[in-house]
Amino acid sequence: MPPLAPIETPPVPARPPGEVLFSARGLTKVYASGESEVRALDGVDLDLRAGEMIVLLGASGSGKSTLLNILGGLDVPTSGTLHYRGAELTYAEENILTRFRRDSVGFIFQFYNLIPSLTARENVALITGISRDPMTPEESLRLVDLGDRMDNFPSQLSGGQQQRVAIARAIVKRPEVLLCDEPTGALDVKTGITVLEAIQRVNLDFGTLAVIITHNAIIADMADRVIHLSDGRITEIQSNARRRDVRTLAW
Amino acid sequence: MILAPLDLKLLRDIGRMKGQLFAVSLVMACGLAMMIMTSSLILSLASTRDAYYAKHRFGDVFSDLKRAPNALRSRLMEIPGVTAVETRVTGRMTLDLPGMLEPADGTIISIPDDRPQQLHQLYLRQGRMPDTSRRNEVVVGEAFAKAHGFRPGHQIDAILHGTRERLTIVGIGLSPEFVFEARPGDTLPDNRRFGVFWMNERELANAYGMDGAFNSVLIDVAPGEATAPVLTALDLQLAPYGGLVAYARNDHGSAKRLDDELNVLRALSVAFPTVFLAIAAFMSSAVLTRLIRLQREQIAQLKALGYSSRQVGWHYLKFALVIVLGGTLIGSIAGVGLGEGVVSVYHKFFQFPSLTFHPDLTAIISALLASSAAAFAGVIGAVRQAVTLPPAEAMRPEPPAAFHTSLLERLGLTKLAGPSFRMAMRNIERRPWQSFFAALGLALATGIPIVPGAMRDAIDYLMDFQWDVAQRQNVSVSLIEPGSASALSDMAHLPGVISTEEFRSVPARLRFGHQSRRLAVTGMVPGSRLSRLLDESGTPVGLPPAGLLISAKLAEILGAKPGEMVRLEVQEGRRPVLETPVQGLITDYNGVAAYMDIDALRRLMKEGRTISGAHLTVDALQWPQFLQQVKESPRIASLAIKNASRQAFRQSTAEMINLVQGLYFTFSIIVSFGVVYNSARIALAERSRELATLRVVGFHHREVAMVLISELVVLTLVALPVGLLIGTGLAKGIVTAASTETVRLPFMLSARSYATAVLVVLMSSAVAFAVVSRGLRHLDLLGTLKARD
Repeated sequence: MPPLAPIETPPVPARPPGEVLFSARGLTKVYASGESEVRALDGVDLDLRAGEMIVLLGASGSGKSTLLNILGGLDVPTSGTLHYRGAELTYAEENILTRFRRDSVGFIFQFYNLIPSLTARENVALITGISRDPMTPEESLRLVDLGDRMDNFPSQLSGGQQQRVAIARAIVKRPEVLLCDEPTGALDVKTGITVLEAIQRVNLDFGTLAVIITHNAIIADMADRVIHLSDGRITEIQSNARRRDVRTLAW
Repeated sequence: MILAPLDLKLLRDIGRMKGQLFAVSLVMACGLAMMIMTSSLILSLASTRDAYYAKHRFGDVFSDLKRAPNALRSRLMEIPGVTAVETRVTGRMTLDLPGMLEPADGTIISIPDDRPQQLHQLYLRQGRMPDTSRRNEVVVGEAFAKAHGFRPGHQIDAILHGTRERLTIVGIGLSPEFVFEARPGDTLPDNRRFGVFWMNERELANAYGMDGAFNSVLIDVAPGEATAPVLTALDLQLAPYGGLVAYARNDHGSAKRLDDELNVLRALSVAFPTVFLAIAAFMSSAVLTRLIRLQREQIAQLKALGYSSRQVGWHYLKFALVIVLGGTLIGSIAGVGLGEGVVSVYHKFFQFPSLTFHPDLTAIISALLASSAAAFAGVIGAVRQAVTLPPAEAMRPEPPAAFHTSLLERLGLTKLAGPSFRMAMRNIERRPWQSFFAALGLALATGIPIVPGAMRDAIDYLMDFQWDVAQRQNVSVSLIEPGSASALSDMAHLPGVISTEEFRSVPARLRFGHQSRRLAVTGMVPGSRLSRLLDESGTPVGLPPAGLLISAKLAEILGAKPGEMVRLEVQEGRRPVLETPVQGLITDYNGVAAYMDIDALRRLMKEGRTISGAHLTVDALQWPQFLQQVKESPRIASLAIKNASRQAFRQSTAEMINLVQGLYFTFSIIVSFGVVYNSARIALAERSRELATLRVVGFHHREVAMVLISELVVLTLVALPVGLLIGTGLAKGIVTAASTETVRLPFMLSARSYATAVLVVLMSSAVAFAVVSRGLRHLDLLGTLKARD
């Protein structure tokens, strides 16, 4: 059994804050639920910068996923405003949002959502075909340590490997933003760490803004900032002076 | 009423899947409609015919003769097995109708005036029978009366046996011997130019010089008695009186035509429904297999809660039942509606006192059984699989679908293809049967519209072949009695006649082995330029100095091949009999005929330059004068005007073809729409996660639709050529089945017919796909992606 927590690993060096990518003001999302309504987000103000590693923490129903989905252009707020690099996304047309997702955002979900009929390489190549300045699928897969499984179909890969293919697919276009919704939710500890490691590497090497949703408070230590949500509001933003390297985490 | 929870679930599931279930029901309905329509038509036509024949006493044995004394009738009654004998006078006549340049012609038949009509009793639609005390009163056949708007009281001018008479119509009638009211040998009725008339016997006999005599016999044979001995005995009795060979119902023009129609219907009543039911079975299988796959966990829950496998299985079979009931309901309504439509077309071809459409209840019940069998066969596998799974196993998600590189890729053929093509190929290979049946459905949809295309092409070809290539005369004239050389020169001197070509035609029976046929043997001028005998490719066939050329169909019926000897029994004059070789075959499309050199025929008949008529070309400028003169020529029995025949043929086929085309196109659209709609809906349900992923990572709606469509495009591309082949086979089968002794169609298919079929399928597929891809727009991206597999 390999050591889960190496004794001494240097902390991740702090970097000067990058430019503001997302700027949310009074972001509110109300879902009609039968006769009543649910305020999934309730007046969220938030700025997220390039190169940051953000962890969203909160109980089920706290509004984490709603916030992530609105940031990623998968959903639109009921009120409030959202700007990306100064451009308003709040009420953008479906086409603009698709364009935004295609060019700027990489998504990672709890379930890997790979195309079962395409190999690892082809799943990644799906994105290189529609991106402006992608790396090659091979480069991307090597970044997540899957250089030797490129021609396997999803059904021939383990859960962790599938999730890493999903990461390779998300990063191959060199996105400015990586949005991860419980990326380790379906994985065991060891596999979870290899996946988080890949996310961390992308964040550090490319200066990609990474936003990770999790239930797992321990993961919060790898973040620059930890945003606590409850009932659709931000209850606390905690800045870590020192980020811990993922490889030192254990739960 | 309180529904059991499972039935509530059933209702709600049906609500969600109504589009797909409806599509399957519709395809099933096509087959059932066809099945119900054809068997109801068979039932209606056959029962109406049988009742009509029985009530109005259609004869069993018929013969024509030169002239026999009425006293012979009682001797004929003594033939064993005979229950009734009717003797009568029949004649040909020419009609001069107001508003018609050309003459019409007709058959006139006597009604006994000293005894009740025994056989072929007239059904009077309107008016009364001719009064024995008045002159020139006639009953006229309904089809002819309708075509001209004649009613009792109208008068018409006719030439009876060379004498011009003014006839008064007193009644409008029908007879079982003229269900198909057409000139003998005609393919289709031309009711404006041919009519049937009935007149009192004494008067008619007088006009035709047949006082105290008859020239036509009808005989009714006792039920259960064989007709063959009666035929022989009758021939023996009539021989001294110039009797032509007696024949039974199966040689009777009108009866045979009706039987042929029934045979065609019988052929159609099996082939088509089978095809549609097979597609419907596969579609129900695909839809319900998918439903069961999606409801795997629900099935496990139900079983964990204590429902038995039988209850769960029955619950899913009820979905199939809903499809079947829907299909049977729509199919029955459509089948009855279509049948009524076809009956209204039949009214133009077949004359009955009343032909009403009777839905065949047996057929509806068999339709219900057949479709239940098809649907249950389609879903039983999926249901069994669902109920045999242990609950704990069923509650676990299905293992991820395993894929492999497709065969095409392993062969290295898809290096340049994009990912959506690769996804399509791998999906197809992973579900080979589903793909196979979807492609088969599309192929059949492509094949179906080829059938009316082939009919249209056949009729176009036939019209060119018959009236442009074979017949180059403007008009063919038949004489009442065979004439001499002077008759030909009389015709040559009619106004506007440019050229003439004589022919001699004698009634005969042709025998080969045990087979024989009644027909006309026509003597033609060798190297004829006007009326020509052609082979299959339309090349003229030269007449040999001796021996016969016969219709290819006749050779098939007799089983005789060129070079073999046949026995020709002429039924006119001295009735010579000749053993003569078949020298070659010719292609023709209605009836059967035999041809020989005119001089050879005359030598056989031991006669001089006798003619039966002539083919003429006439100067168009003098056409009206020509027709006027013909009307006043007492020796002319009938006039076949090429352009008029062609037009009448076009008109009467057009309606039938349009009906068939409308029907088949609808079927094709339903099948291709149904197959594409269902395949796309199933793909959408099964692959929603993958499609949602593509949307999330930045694919546009249109690009995702392309991924979904590429599989269907591949299947369609495979299906189209196969469908064209199937359609060609189907059309050939139907043309063959519809090729009877009385009417035949050549097998022809134009590029246009193929292109139309492809277009019909592509367009309905595109519409079906557009409908489904609207659902793609409303795909719940997040819900889909966050759901567990």
